[in-house]
Amino acid sequence: MTTFVDQVREMGLKQAAIAKADEAVERITAGMNISDVRGALRGDEPRRPNPRLRPHADGFWLHIRPSFYHTEITHIYPTFRLGWLSTFMFVWETITGIILMIFYTPSPFIAYNNMWNILANVPLGQLMRNMHRLGAEVMVLAVALHMLRTFITGSYKKPRQFTWATGMILLVLTLLLSFSGYLLPWDQLAYWALTVFLSGAEAAPAPAVVNENVLLILQGAPSLGAGGLLRWYLFHVLLMPLLLAVFFFVHYYKVVLHGFSLPPGREEIGEDTAKRVPRNERTYFIPDILTSELMWSALATLFLVAGALWFWDAPLEHHADPIVTPLHVVAPWYLSWSQGWLKLADKTIVVGFIPLLMIAFIVMPYFEVGKSRRYADRRVGLSVAFLFMAVMLVSNWMGSPEFRVASSAEQEVSQEILPQEGPSILLGVPYEYMSLGTYLPGEEIENNPHLTEALEEFQAAMFRHSCYLVGNPRLPREWDECTVQTLASGDKRYGNFFKDSVMPDPYAELQIEQMQPNLLRLTLHYEVTNPENPDELLVNTDWVSYRHADSNYEEECRFANKNC
Amino acid sequence: MQVKVVIGTITFMLTMMIMGFAALREPARLEKFSHAFEGRSIESGARIYAGNCATCHGVSGKGEECYDTGGNQIGCRGLPLNYAPLLCGDNSDRTARMNAMNWASTKDAFIESVVAAGRAGTAMPVWSAQFGGPMREDEIKNTVAFILNWESDDLCSEPVVTFDWPATAQGLVDEFPDGDAANGEALFVSYGCSGCHGVPDGSIPAAVGPDLSNIAVDGATRVDGYSAAMYVYESILDPNAFIAEECPTGPCLGPPSAMLANFGERMAENPQDMADILAYLLGE
Ligand code: HEC
Ligand code: HEC
Ligand code: HEM
Repeated sequence: MTTFVDQVREMGLKQAAIAKADEAVERITAGMNISDVRGALRGDEPRRPNPRLRPHADGFWLHIRPSFYHTEITHIYPTFRLGWLSTFMFVWETITGIILMIFYTPSPFIAYNNMWNILANVPLGQLMRNMHRLGAEVMVLAVALHMLRTFITGSYKKPRQFTWATGMILLVLTLLLSFSGYLLPWDQLAYWALTVFLSGAEAAPAPAVVNENVLLILQGAPSLGAGGLLRWYLFHVLLMPLLLAVFFFVHYYKVVLHGFSLPPGREEIGEDTAKRVPRNERTYFIPDILTSELMWSALATLFLVAGALWFWDAPLEHHADPIVTPLHVVAPWYLSWSQGWLKLADKTIVVGFIPLLMIAFIVMPYFEVGKSRRYADRRVGLSVAFLFMAVMLVSNWMGSPEFRVASSAEQEVSQEILPQEGPSILLGVPYEYMSLGTYLPGEEIENNPHLTEALEEFQAAMFRHSCYLVGNPRLPREWDECTVQTLASGDKRYGNFFKDSVMPDPYAELQIEQMQPNLLRLTLHYEVTNPENPDELLVNTDWVSYRHADSNYEEECRFANKNC
Repeated sequence: MQVKVVIGTITFMLTMMIMGFAALREPARLEKFSHAFEGRSIESGARIYAGNCATCHGVSGKGEECYDTGGNQIGCRGLPLNYAPLLCGDNSDRTARMNAMNWASTKDAFIESVVAAGRAGTAMPVWSAQFGGPMREDEIKNTVAFILNWESDDLCSEPVVTFDWPATAQGLVDEFPDGDAANGEALFVSYGCSGCHGVPDGSIPAAVGPDLSNIAVDGATRVDGYSAAMYVYESILDPNAFIAEECPTGPCLGPPSAMLANFGERMAENPQDMADILAYLLGE
């Protein structure tokens, strides 16, 4: 064993240092010295024995990765890199999540202020929050698409049934992970989405004792509060990621064990040649797959950073309020289908059906044992899959705000242009353009394009929720002709082309008043006279909102995902 | 592969540049968001104020226009909040109100503490859930932010009008001899007396303070050596000087009296109002 001093004596300082560096690189890469690394980067042929296989054999990080892929599956098709993207998103969420965690305390007294602290005091805090929340949605999308592709290419078939089953568990964990994060800002959106979810748990088809205790475990107290928030926080940052990591490694171990399935057309029916890769069809992990993955990581990072900076902004509504139920409680889009189902069937049936459906998906490959992975041989299976997707899309749409149970017509109009939560076209009017006064829907204000645009939107919303009977001289507008329905009670109901309960010949106005030197009160005022009895007002209501000079809705309105 | 290395490197550099751009605009953005937080807190406070406080403190916080839940105008029972002595501090931000109440901490804390804990013996309820009221901590903070937001240069530069009230009712009558009972009737409503005392003609029954329909006679019996005029005069200027015995809900509480002690200040701008109210109540 020669020491460094011996080496210096023997070869001189420079040579000894180079040898030492070479040795260090070889240790770090678990087998490749400096010239090997350089050769790999240049794309040279490796020396024999191939040092690029040693990191797989001796290194920790690469020992789970295959040392070469079948060249056929290194193209975009058949994997579309979706499994990789799911994994990338998980790592991404972990990193951004840990950063957010530094500034977060899971307490109903503090959590909401923490969110504002992240936005207002933490450098790049808004970007971090947006990246984490955008990432969560992209991850759900990536996992779902990955599932779709493994179905379409028939990769769930023997011998990969178990890979598919663990994949299903990963899908459920991904949804739960995303949804458990939803509660943490402790705003109205979070609180009520979770409340609806928990009311589902309560309606499960099980004995009441079981349901009650499950609910108690999920929310830590008879009602959702400090205990519940702490629990969901721990689900989100500890339990779910841990389970996801465990199942991911099982999943990926199986993927490598069986080899990535080749494109269906490449194999004889019933054969699985993924593990038998001829020498001339090998693409080695080092350097090709590695550089490819690094490039995709850079592209995905760019996409997420730019998206979170310019196009997509995480919502933050008012502080959670257990007493005030928002007008329309909607689930996040990836769970919206379940809300859609609730409109079709009884809650208990829906809640009982969902776990059955999951189990059906998990065991599907053990029953669907058709030998061929080729598309032409799987017409029925593929058709069923597309039918299922269509059903999910329609259900999702039915659960979305467009298909909600409408409240009264004037509330719907208000909710469209001046909602209880979140920015809107009217709140987005810059403060300097909020001139005091009373305005009619559709009114044009000179030199005030912003307010004019908002009033146009007011008119458009009125149009969707009004109808024309004999006209209203105070607000002469050509709404759709009224359809009249007589209800069993003898009352009349007026409808238009879009809805069956709207305001006949309504009057509406927007009042902008000064409340404090830098605070405005916005009032939407509605009056509808009973067409049967001109002395009676069917509707005479005000919808009030406030707008402070600094509240910065116009900034929020720049993002594409905001309702402005 | 070389292409991928190049694309990856360029993309990475682009991302770094975008991050750099984002970092450069951070100070301005953070500033904006701090203000946005304030602004939205004030907006929420305005909503809470309109729903919970305006019935007593008035729509514009001046202790003037108050409405019940049915939309009928009623007398305001709370002190004005949109009010210089409460909001406008001196150089060290001490307000007249804080000094009067011997409050040692800050102005914000003064208002927050009253809103949170209420004020015993007055109509001001407890609001904070911490002390048994209905509001969460964030709601208290928002409401306080809204009240503090009434402070403005205009409000604070208005000169404070004071008036040296004569020691006796007779002194006042000497200075303002033409008490107008009809106008006094209107003032009895607009100052909010009727909100507590009802209207002496019986059209609105007394709710908080004693019925005053017979005060012209009873007033002379309350304090030894006081005429009815002197007693009513002192009752308005300093409700704590003597606490009446019977209130509509049982024995009157106090001191401090449930009746607001600021009518002297409010009438200082127009002392004739006092003469008119006296004329009305004493039936001259
Ligand atoms: C039932 C009537 C009533 C309601 C409702 C009410 N207050 Fe009061 N408030 C009073 C009265 C009376 C006082 C004066 C107490 C006193 O004389 O010291 C007062 C005093 C105050 C003060 C202290 C003023 C000062 O100069 O010392 C503040 C601040 C205040 N209220 C805020 C509020 C807020 C905020 C709300 C709504 C959340 C509210 N009040 C609701 C009756 C009311
Ligand atoms: C917040 C409710 C409230 C308001 C507003 C109010 N008072 Fe009173 N007033 C009381 C209460 C309670 C008492 C009894 C306790 C006391 O003597 O201080 C009282 C006592 C009085 C008394 C003595 C009554 C007696 O029987 O001894 C007079 C006189 C009086 N008020 C006049 C007025 C006048 C005039 C106004 C309007 C300028 C007014 N009050 C506004 C609550 C109110
Ligand atoms: C967090 C969620 C998931 C992660 C991180 C993940 C990761 C991966 C990765 C990296 C691969 C390698 C091949 C590829 O990139 O396509 C893979 C393959 C596979 N995954 Fe997933 N996956 C997830 C969820 C799912 C789901 C929901 C399913 C289906 C229910 C699924 C089923 C499969 C199958 C069958 C394969 C084998 C594909 C083949 O051999 O061609 N996975 N997964």
